[in-house]
Amino acid sequence: MITSIIKPVNKVVPLVKPSPDEWSSLLEKVGVDKDRQAFSSLFEHFAPLLKGFLMKGSNIGPELAEELAQETMIKVWRRAASFQRAKSTASTWIFTIARNSRIDLYRRESRKQVQLDADDFYDQSIENPSLVSLVQVRNKQTVLEHLKSLPREQHEVVAKIYYEGKSHTEVAQELSLPLGTVKSRIRLALKRMSVRLAAEEI
Amino acid sequence: MSVQLHPDADLLVEYSSGSLSPAMCVSVSAHLHFCDSCRDENLRLTEIGGSLLSQVAPEILSASALDNVFAKIDTEAADDVLKPRTVSKQTTTGTELSALPEMIQNLIPTDEPNWRFLSPSLRAAAIPVGEDSCELALHKIKAGGSTPTHDHKGREVVVVLKGSFSDEDGIYSEGDFIVHHPGEVHRPQASQNEECICLSVLEAPLRLTGTFHRFLNPLFSFNPQ
Repeated sequence: MITSIIKPVNKVVPLVKPSPDEWSSLLEKVGVDKDRQAFSSLFEHFAPLLKGFLMKGSNIGPELAEELAQETMIKVWRRAASFQRAKSTASTWIFTIARNSRIDLYRRESRKQVQLDADDFYDQSIENPSLVSLVQVRNKQTVLEHLKSLPREQHEVVAKIYYEGKSHTEVAQELSLPLGTVKSRIRLALKRMSVRLAAEEI
Repeated sequence: MSVQLHPDADLLVEYSSGSLSPAMCVSVSAHLHFCDSCRDENLRLTEIGGSLLSQVAPEILSASALDNVFAKIDTEAADDVLKPRTVSKQTTTGTELSALPEMIQNLIPTDEPNWRFLSPSLRAAAIPVGEDSCELALHKIKAGGSTPTHDHKGREVVVVLKGSFSDEDGIYSEGDFIVHHPGEVHRPQASQNEECICLSVLEAPLRLTGTFHRFLNPLFSFNPQ
């Protein structure tokens, strides 16, 4: 307790992460004012990340990844007004848009009937978190930190699932692992990232 | 009131990462509509995707990428004036559909589900989502009615959307996410005071039957009689 009173004078120890979520502010500007300058900054930051992210998938080449990244950013422009910083971070919100664009791409490629979009299968209103979760979103840094601290083999499985949008079965096949091993690595990783699952608590 | 049965970790991870089939995706969405805790977990799982996105090595886009995007935005803006994106369905209150989660309503192309007679107490209405590996449908059991005894050739997921039903294993109410594995035999019955509407996903419903087909289908050789 005493130590907390004695602050070092010549050394700045930030209590909070210094970077406020500037991407969220830019997204809000796009949403409210259709601010092209703000969108350009978002584009410069996120479009290359999206392209890199999508190219992690073994079946998406650079050209397709670029096309999807652009498609995703167009949706970001169109929907920015629905982004709410209290509920999500810019990168998570943009991830969900990219995820759904990727699902639609896979469906187009397998020539399924495509009158419906992935957006129709995900309920937008469920993105309303409870109060407990709002607190968690504020501590969102933790997911990223936990992710970095995962043992290599757990990180590999989790990353593959999210990067490539593949089912556990497909990931098991590609890594030549038994399905049970993939599932147990995911559970261990979730535990470390303190994702508590209602189904597992019973 | 609170939901008792939830999708497992694998389903929630596949939901947030985007690898579920449309029908399964809709069934998890329907559960999340009723379940606060799974909704929170889904948000946290989705953050894994967001965190990975923020950490990935960037790849440079073509020099004209931003201009392309602005050009598309401008032409789309012009198009949107002429043809607005599908408006969500305005369901009048009191209809059968209005009791269901809005996203489910939006998946049904007609004003009322196109109910098909299955038995005196049971109706079904298919929901077309462009699936070939499973069947997504609404099922309605009359108050107090029961369905014929049946088993499943594939995995079946049922989410209660309205009312409640029971079977040999328990009572299920709104939001419950029930998984039946192949071969499980059951006979659901709606509660006495209210009809029950469920969403159901039946995986791989087409399985060859009959003695000749049985012979052709290698899966049957593992089927204990």
